[in-house]
Amino acid sequence: MRFPSRILGGNAVFALIGAAALLTICAGAVAVITAFGNTPDSAWEKAAQAVNWYSLMVGISLAQSYLPVYLAHGQTRRRFGAQAAVAIGVFGPLLAALVTAGYLIESGIYRLIGWSQVLTRPHVFDEATQVPLVFLEYLIEFLAWLTAGAFIGSGFYRWGLGGLLTIPVAVGLVVLAEGAIGTELRLPILPHAIGVDVPQSLGTTLGVGLGTFLVGLALTWLIIRDIPVRNPKS
Amino acid sequence: MKIEVDDLVMRYGATTALDRLSLNLEGGKIYGLLGRNGSGKTTLLSVLAAFRRPTGGRVRIDGQPVFENARLTERISLIRDGGATVELGSAQEAVGFAEWLRPGFDGRYARSLMALFGLDPKKSVSGMSKGQRAALGVVMGLASRAPLTMFDEAYLGMDAPSRYAFYDALLSDYLANPRTIILSTHHIEEVASLFEEVVIIDKGRLVVHEESTRLLSRGTAVTGPAAQVEAFTTGLTVLNSRRLGPTTAATIYGDLDEARLAQAAAAGLELGPIPMQDLFVHLTGERR
Repeated sequence: MRFPSRILGGNAVFALIGAAALLTICAGAVAVITAFGNTPDSAWEKAAQAVNWYSLMVGISLAQSYLPVYLAHGQTRRRFGAQAAVAIGVFGPLLAALVTAGYLIESGIYRLIGWSQVLTRPHVFDEATQVPLVFLEYLIEFLAWLTAGAFIGSGFYRWGLGGLLTIPVAVGLVVLAEGAIGTELRLPILPHAIGVDVPQSLGTTLGVGLGTFLVGLALTWLIIRDIPVRNPKS
Repeated sequence: MKIEVDDLVMRYGATTALDRLSLNLEGGKIYGLLGRNGSGKTTLLSVLAAFRRPTGGRVRIDGQPVFENARLTERISLIRDGGATVELGSAQEAVGFAEWLRPGFDGRYARSLMALFGLDPKKSVSGMSKGQRAALGVVMGLASRAPLTMFDEAYLGMDAPSRYAFYDALLSDYLANPRTIILSTHHIEEVASLFEEVVIIDKGRLVVHEESTRLLSRGTAVTGPAAQVEAFTTGLTVLNSRRLGPTTAATIYGDLDEARLAQAAAAGLELGPIPMQDLFVHLTGERR
């Protein structure tokens, strides 16, 4: 099987540019906050949550944009499914690495200024300099959001508005992954966070995180394994 | 590529798009696939390209089932209305993607065709006009060099000069790289001369499959004095008749035997070919 370089190439470049932009925005926000005499918490921790939504969109685009092009160029659903799974499996770690690098950069800057990098949400790590744990947490999170996106995107591509039914399942996957890293899912449309209690240990976190990713891929495959290419709009 | 379709059924809910359609194409020719709107042309081509799994029946290409058969599907190209399946990035990125995914895709030829159709390689596909997207779809189909290449109204939206450029490119590329080509179209007269065989379907069923010359021979234009034309056409299937002064021009459907031909010659009637479109209208029009 070929490496999905065409899928990853464009998205990786966009992710790098996006990470640089996000860092710049964080620096600006910190500058504004300090101008009012306050000491900011970790700005990167808040910014990193936007990457979840970006992951979701990338996952959706896999089914909405790449799947029909693959099939139109004579590839099978099986080949696409395998390449999409590899693409998610590589892109998730890339995003996690970018977020981890962002924490380290922020940590260095805060240390130079003499601030402490205060984290305000639960994490599997205590300090942003615990690189393996930071990477692991965001890896689990992004893999879940990417597969949730692929699942939702496949549902909408196949069933149109009927794809709405995939959203609760996708939310369930993400909530489980968030539970594995000890946090909850906050959606703008809901007044309360959604969460599940998952026993917190490294093994459980890894197992539930990886399990969520694999279940998400399996559910997506159930939708795309005989998915028709849409007829052109008349 | 040899195509065998047996008892093919495709249903969309309560709608039956293909109704036990059977068809055999030997391959290595240019086929015209004709049918009215909703006749099942797009569905048939979609099944042949493995874009859809049929509800029932069997489709084999070169003796193998086609759905999820990678060794077959990478040798099949279906370009549909407006090139709808190439909307990814710029035109040159779409070509790059095709080169990457499809073995045998000729990128150099694709770029020369893009120049022929006046397409800007850097322009975003989603920002193109319908005609430009259609032209890009045509580029993808021709440059795929797929042994089975199908165009389903792919040139809809292209202006007349671009369509004629496409027909010329198609014919010269077919002669240089022989393969099986299926053209589904409503511009029948524009492309009728390219067809070696014609398949007409209606309401999901096969109506006609025969060589285009044979199909055309079934229709005859009869011109002459009104009384003689009327006498000659009595008992024949008259598709239409027009009178101008003392002269009548009638179009008839059906084979003319030697006795009929002799009768026409004796009556001083002129016999000539009729447009394929008239035959198509006759063969599909009365069934609704």
